[in-house]
Amino acid sequence: MSVQNVILKLQEFWAERGCYIASGYDGEVGAGTMSPDTFFRVLGKKPWQVAYWQPSRRPDDGRYGQNPNRVQKHNQFQVILKPVPADGQLLFLDSLIYLGVDIRIHDIKFDDDNWASPSLGAWGVGWQVMCDGLEITQFTYFQQAGGIELNPNSLEITYGIERLAGFLDNKNSLFDLDWGNRVSYAQLKLEEERQFSVYNFELADIDMLRRLFGQYQKEAEKLLDHGLFLPAYDYVLKCSHAFNILDARKAIAVAERTALLGIMRGLAARIAQKYVQQTEGEDHG
Amino acid sequence: MADLLFELGVEEIPAAAVAAIRDQLRDLFLARLEQERIAHGASECAASNRRLMLHVTQIPERTATQEETVLGPAKRIALDERGLPTVALKKFCEFQQVKLSDVVEIETPKGKYLGVTKVGGGQDAAALIAAAIPAILRQLTFPKTMVWNDSRVPFIRPVKSILALFGTRLLDLEFAGVRSGNKAPGHLLLSDAYFDVNSFKDYFEGLSKNFIILREDERRAKILAEIRDIAEELECQVPCDDEMLDYYVYSNEYPVAFSGRFDAKYLALPEEIITAFMTREKKLLPVYDASGKLTPHFVGVANIPDENRKVSRGNEKVVQAAFEDAQFFWDMDRKEDYFALKGLLKNVMFQKELGTYFEKVERLAALVDFLVNETRQDGLRGALHKAASHCKNDLLTKMVREFPSLQGIMGGLYLKAAGEEPQVWRAIYGHYKPRGLANEKLDDLGAGILSIADRMDNIAGFVGKGIKVSSSKDPYGIRRDANAVIKIIADFRLSMDLAPLVRLAALHFAKDETELQRNSKVIRELLVSRLENYLKDHRRLRYDVVNAVMVRDTLVVLDKILQAEALAQLVESGMADPLSSLHKRLRNIIGQNERCPFTETALKEKEEKLLADVFQGAKPRIDDLILKQNYLQASSEILEMKPIVDSFFEKILVMDKDPVRRRNRLALLQRIDELLSSVADFSLLVETKPGGKT
Repeated sequence: MSVQNVILKLQEFWAERGCYIASGYDGEVGAGTMSPDTFFRVLGKKPWQVAYWQPSRRPDDGRYGQNPNRVQKHNQFQVILKPVPADGQLLFLDSLIYLGVDIRIHDIKFDDDNWASPSLGAWGVGWQVMCDGLEITQFTYFQQAGGIELNPNSLEITYGIERLAGFLDNKNSLFDLDWGNRVSYAQLKLEEERQFSVYNFELADIDMLRRLFGQYQKEAEKLLDHGLFLPAYDYVLKCSHAFNILDARKAIAVAERTALLGIMRGLAARIAQKYVQQTEGEDHG
Repeated sequence: MADLLFELGVEEIPAAAVAAIRDQLRDLFLARLEQERIAHGASECAASNRRLMLHVTQIPERTATQEETVLGPAKRIALDERGLPTVALKKFCEFQQVKLSDVVEIETPKGKYLGVTKVGGGQDAAALIAAAIPAILRQLTFPKTMVWNDSRVPFIRPVKSILALFGTRLLDLEFAGVRSGNKAPGHLLLSDAYFDVNSFKDYFEGLSKNFIILREDERRAKILAEIRDIAEELECQVPCDDEMLDYYVYSNEYPVAFSGRFDAKYLALPEEIITAFMTREKKLLPVYDASGKLTPHFVGVANIPDENRKVSRGNEKVVQAAFEDAQFFWDMDRKEDYFALKGLLKNVMFQKELGTYFEKVERLAALVDFLVNETRQDGLRGALHKAASHCKNDLLTKMVREFPSLQGIMGGLYLKAAGEEPQVWRAIYGHYKPRGLANEKLDDLGAGILSIADRMDNIAGFVGKGIKVSSSKDPYGIRRDANAVIKIIADFRLSMDLAPLVRLAALHFAKDETELQRNSKVIRELLVSRLENYLKDHRRLRYDVVNAVMVRDTLVVLDKILQAEALAQLVESGMADPLSSLHKRLRNIIGQNERCPFTETALKEKEEKLLADVFQGAKPRIDDLILKQNYLQASSEILEMKPIVDSFFEKILVMDKDPVRRRNRLALLQRIDELLSSVADFSLLVETKPGGKT
């Protein structure tokens, strides 16, 4: 199955189960979780069902296009179900069947793996879903976001699109994948992987990124002072990406890491509080 | 009489947590039955990652009845002077829901009381159990909990189903927002989501029809047999340690072993990397040929039969990709100048308030230097200094950042690959070992010495920071570090006093002499307690044997170990009892007397002269044996003096009226006591018949 068919099928499947099909966030994020469609909407009381395709950047995972399974930019398919449905695992297995996975001959395991984002003050409990030893999905019950205990909780299902397509198409390397209609994954991504790996590991300007981190932080603080938590959150995400490149460059010492994560976590907590104040206000009004 | 079946269906519990939860459930439930006075027959508790099952046989429908006397107020308070009931008695009757006419007089040691005899028990066991189950589930403790629904009840993972069958009745109860019903979860992949259960037969038949092997032993046996079959087929060895076996047992309800292979070109990677990637990341077992060489095969355990080899092929691809990653890390890291990484350690914090790793390795170099002197290993000085200075560089390599458990090992491997001399790379390679008391023995002395230095620095740092260690709390692994120090000394038979090392290590973390002394004391006590633990729990020596050698306040660890070993042998050979009685007798007579001077010329009687002669003849030889740490031989030579000591006690009155003679006799006995005490305090041994280790 081609990459685009995996995306289309997942969109179809989750749309039919009541999800709103969103676009992915339009800036650099490390994971679908960081999109405002997840970060904000898991807060507060209102039910929320969303599914979207999110290109995600992990500079440190770059392998110059040389590794069959790892890339610095991969694609996630993110589903948020709030409140948690009664049989989320079965829904998920149904989605695999819908994609064409014969679950009776493949070893699908829920292998414990708790998720935490120290920069967003978020964590959850759940599993990595393994299929014949390949991690294809993260399945997480959100417990906290922006430092706030969640009630109701949300179920997050994050599919690794390349992993699924590679599995379904029986490919050894994601660069052998067919994106769709005769466009190959390699054609689209190989050069991108090579160039960004060189940039992230070798050429990224450390001083500039440090400076930018500080400027983004200031901008987020200013925006928060004006009550504009949505653009403030954009700037936290920019901080996060700058941080990730600095990390790939090995430019962050342990003490500094703690400090920078603390800055982002602090901002995320203030943003989450502002969001909750405003939406709870609406609920009462 | 009826059987109880209880099953809790849960979404996948982390494999490492299942057994402990099962045991808690069983213990709490059986305790509750006893508390409620519910009799029962045999019980069985079994668990997988998706269900906890409890089966208790032969429970009576009603709890046992028994008469029970409830004591009320004393008679003089219960009745007024006219013999009429007071308010106190009326309140008592009201509270006990009995009539005044039911009250009887009861004679007690404290005088006459009024009270009632009630018939207790006879309650509906099913109702009690239905009420007990949710309470017990709420009492379970977990490494980490979560909430997921409106009930806000914390549990390890979401609860899916509750089944409680008492005889033919389904019990009605609720926990964490889930009502009990007549359903049990099927196998995740091979059957429907749930199967119906209305009887015991339904349940146990349902399990087997639905590919669920409930009993852990059966799963374990199936896994081991299938791994053995594969090993035979490949004519290879497939070792599976307990940790991996438990993982397989508790992450599959229908375990099936499978095998696969990978491109032999990856065997060029160091074996440590290959096995770390396979076992830790991919949960697969490495396969070795008859000579112990790694082969390009692996074995894993799936939750389904792999007739189409899909599982095996899938895992092969995953392993291939993992080795690609390993190759990438290995190649990238080797491009770096390993020694140059040391400078970057200035950016890596060891621990908050304890400085950077750069500072740590500087300290280690000094500690290692000291240890080389103490253990008289001058030949290792240069190599160990270099190893200590660079032992933490690998924290900056990609491989260790990805696999922290390879720390130390990678530093060693990178230096080996770079052509470094073995004394250096081996010391770095092994300096995180041993990981536990039961674990592998180090084979490299240099690694042992560097490991002691590193552990002592950890301990001193955390103690200096004010971290407290208790049996239940050891967040920084200080106890583990202290255990390792003891084990290395024992394994390499290192004869050295730890006290000066403790002081040197603590020096870096104390701001003045008072603090230094206080911290040193804490560390010494920690080491003493770990040594005791090593002797008692790990070496399984008798507690009185251990106490007898621990009584002297020194930290020459090896001496204590050798003394304890000697004592254990003395116990085995029946020589401990007479030594113990000898030592007790000496101690009794010496009592609190001060050490007296001994003068040969003050000897008068035949028996005391004989004892003095024999003692003085034997002492140089025994001293020499003690110096050579031959405590067994020293003890038996002392024992040879016992008949003479005995006849001395028979014939001689130590507490002579003449103070000169008395003090001289005491002096002689004190010398013998001192000789004995330099082996152990035999008086602390519990005299028993020989042969028993407890």
